[in-house]
Amino acid sequence: MQLRSSPRASTLLLIVAAISLAAGARADGGIDLTGTLYHDSGGGLKMTVITPGLNIDGTIADALTLRAGYEADIVSGASVAVVDAPGSGVDAITGATTLNDIRHTASAGFTLHSEFAELTAGYAYGTESDYHSHGFSLSAHSELFERNTAFDISYARGFDRACALNQPRAQESVNRQRLPSSTGCFSADDRTTLHLDLSTYQGSWTQAWAPLFTTQLTLTAQILHGYQGSPYRAVWLGRSAAMENPPEDRARYAAGLGARLWLEPLHGALQLSGRVYRDTWDIKSITAEGAYEQSLSGSVRLRGRVRFYDQNAAIFFSDDYVRRPRGEYFTGDRELSSMRSMTYGLRLIYDVPPDDEGDVLGIFDGLRLVLKADLIRFDFRSFHYGRADIPNTDALMITLGLTSRF
Amino acid sequence: MVDSPSSSEPSVSQRDGAVHVRRLRLGRLAATCLAMLLLALSAGCVTVRPSDKEFLSDPSMTFGDEGAAGAHEQHVMSNREGSMGAGSVSGGGCGCN
Repeated sequence: MQLRSSPRASTLLLIVAAISLAAGARADGGIDLTGTLYHDSGGGLKMTVITPGLNIDGTIADALTLRAGYEADIVSGASVAVVDAPGSGVDAITGATTLNDIRHTASAGFTLHSEFAELTAGYAYGTESDYHSHGFSLSAHSELFERNTAFDISYARGFDRACALNQPRAQESVNRQRLPSSTGCFSADDRTTLHLDLSTYQGSWTQAWAPLFTTQLTLTAQILHGYQGSPYRAVWLGRSAAMENPPEDRARYAAGLGARLWLEPLHGALQLSGRVYRDTWDIKSITAEGAYEQSLSGSVRLRGRVRFYDQNAAIFFSDDYVRRPRGEYFTGDRELSSMRSMTYGLRLIYDVPPDDEGDVLGIFDGLRLVLKADLIRFDFRSFHYGRADIPNTDALMITLGLTSRF
Repeated sequence: MVDSPSSSEPSVSQRDGAVHVRRLRLGRLAATCLAMLLLALSAGCVTVRPSDKEFLSDPSMTFGDEGAAGAHEQHVMSNREGSMGAGSVSGGGCGCN
């Protein structure tokens, strides 16, 4: 119980401290309140994630910015616990197990500013009934050549711990049972802890090429070591089902290129981006996105976008491990199968116009409302629950945000 | 029965020559790409004057302008897809700071 109440108290203290600092600075500060709803459902399976977040920052003497934040993931849904169990299919889907959990994340950090460079450090602690995480990040930003060029580098380190059943007699992965519930996690003797270490490296180069054209190249690498599956999910292996068992090591690489072109006759911006990805589990993917953002007036902007995503399956993925086993590893994760998705989105931004004295509502320097909606259609080509296709392939994601500067 | 080489098949020296030509072409292609990259880099360093950055400073021309909404989306997509990374990085490059 202490584990749950302590972070909440820390979060509250951090937020109060940040508000005090920002209020004390007065010259520059901000509060961002953003909430996102993700929902997919179909055929008895569903997933709903509500993510409210609060971020506060305050700048002192133009040299130091302090920030604090809180975010939650309120998760509820129904999913298949044993993938490809005998007789599975529609029956297994309709008999899906329900899940409800809340993840709390508190974060804090600071940025040191100089005329052409910034140095940022941050820490985040996440907790839920069956998962704890610590994350540290460090990043640097520099602007060169009359600010036409910017370089960013960052490093993040994560230490995650997940709950699982304590099964000292199950030496082989095929004998390990899945976790039935989060009850007793991190305290009971029949529970154990699985670790996951993450290191993420990222670099980006942003370049203004012309008064109407700018690009950004981003490279990311991530090294993971530890348990990367779901302790709740089992895979049917013939005689019994076992907790999914992906490889412990994974290296992930991604390169992205974005371009933005201002179309002066339309007074809008064309936004194009592409990304290629591969990892040592042999997943390769491509992402392409096109968007157009139009200024409707001085204070209203509307953006429409289309995003395409395609990936192949992990080398150890099989849709049926009884008939087509793939070595010592097995997974029931549909995100490791070959899949494709299309996203169609709209975003509306309204900057509340200031009064004659430059204030918004008399107290703010700026006030922005953001409404964003995305429809995502997934296509899982090689994943089935027994003989049944995945039923919940359409998802809706809605974000509502309010950002104020003072 | 062993096939004897016919006069129409290339000799060893001809094959070596073809490999050499291919390497030369690849080398020229790599050199051209490098030169274009350097040219682009050098051009980019001096192209846009601060007085010409009216449109670059528009929020719709700024990378990573989505803030918390963008972070939430990346969080969702990285859980719903098998890949991650190389998203937009906020700030910089427009000279509007």
